[in-house]
Amino acid sequence: MKVRVLNMTKNELKIEIEGEGHTFCNVIQKALIKDKRVEIAGYDIPHPLTSSPLIYIRTKGQSKPTKVLDDATKAVHKDSKTFRAAFSKALKEWNKKRQS
Amino acid sequence: MKIQILEKNDISMRLLIEGTNAPLMNTLRRIILSEVPTMAVDDVVILENSSALQDEFLAHRIGLVPLKTDLDTYNLPENCECKSEFGCNLCRVSLVLDVEAEDHTIVVRSSDFKSENPTVIPVSNEISLVKLAPEQKIRLEAYARLGKGKDHARWQSVSMCTYKYKPIISVNTELCNSCGECVEACSRNIITKTGKKIEIRNLENCTLCQDCVKACQETPKAVKSSWDETSFIFAIESTGALTSERILREALNILDGKLVEFLKQLPVKKT
Ligand SMILES: [Zn+2]
Repeated sequence: MKVRVLNMTKNELKIEIEGEGHTFCNVIQKALIKDKRVEIAGYDIPHPLTSSPLIYIRTKGQSKPTKVLDDATKAVHKDSKTFRAAFSKALKEWNKKRQS
Repeated sequence: MKIQILEKNDISMRLLIEGTNAPLMNTLRRIILSEVPTMAVDDVVILENSSALQDEFLAHRIGLVPLKTDLDTYNLPENCECKSEFGCNLCRVSLVLDVEAEDHTIVVRSSDFKSENPTVIPVSNEISLVKLAPEQKIRLEAYARLGKGKDHARWQSVSMCTYKYKPIISVNTELCNSCGECVEACSRNIITKTGKKIEIRNLENCTLCQDCVKACQETPKAVKSSWDETSFIFAIESTGALTSERILREALNILDGKLVEFLKQLPVKKT
């Protein structure tokens, strides 16, 4: 993964993520649009074979787009940690049920 | 988030996941399909092949044989320290196939492979590769490496990985006249009739086909079918290369790896 900044202003950020695709960008974009500070967030893969995906963010008011993107990524990370914990718990319950 | 295991063995697993969102499920699904590494043959040196199948055909069939994978010992070729195109002990396993049909026609099966590492073997002994007529012979060396499903289907860790919303089927007792039409219509036996009462059970098997709703003669319909957008039934069916549990854990590790790497490259400086 290699992140390149294509455009950055006070309220806008456009980055290119080399080596990723829908798998990564979709989950980030969906986390971004849940954020109230975000006006627009989207991603695009201009060509399915030859290009890297672009993520575009426009924020409202004083919110910095890099901060918003950072928070969205952390939110997804938290989700995956919760999933991991819930899965471990479910496994324990399953094994207990199996033994009894 | 709450997870309940509905069904689990080494090959397949079904989970009921409540209180989550579709993007996370989809990301895990996509990672499982295309980024969890497994072992497969990607290089075959054919020394002798007098069978009816030509070399390319045979090599293709060998490539698609799923191999039991040891992820803790082996490295992906691009991450291996050896940096060699040919590979080393940590990124390559050699399997030898040396069979000759003497006076009867025989079927060459995956069990005929002799692996240099006894833990990296075909998941089943019964996969037939080619038939040999009397006096035909095959001698070859196959090299297995770790790879990802996005590069070729032979490295896919699962034969199936899907998720669906948790179905909700409800019967309005005030409108229902217990005619039993919906019971007849349901191909998954989710709706049952005991006496005059219509009951719903094993809801996780429902495919949301809407047949029960169509079958209901009442207006407005007594049977209602919908789904819960925060709950999912997630199913994994491994090829046998890795256990279903390991596949899900690997997918979570890969996702976390991506997120950590992305965070590391943020906040981005203007280039
Ligand atoms: Zn190596």
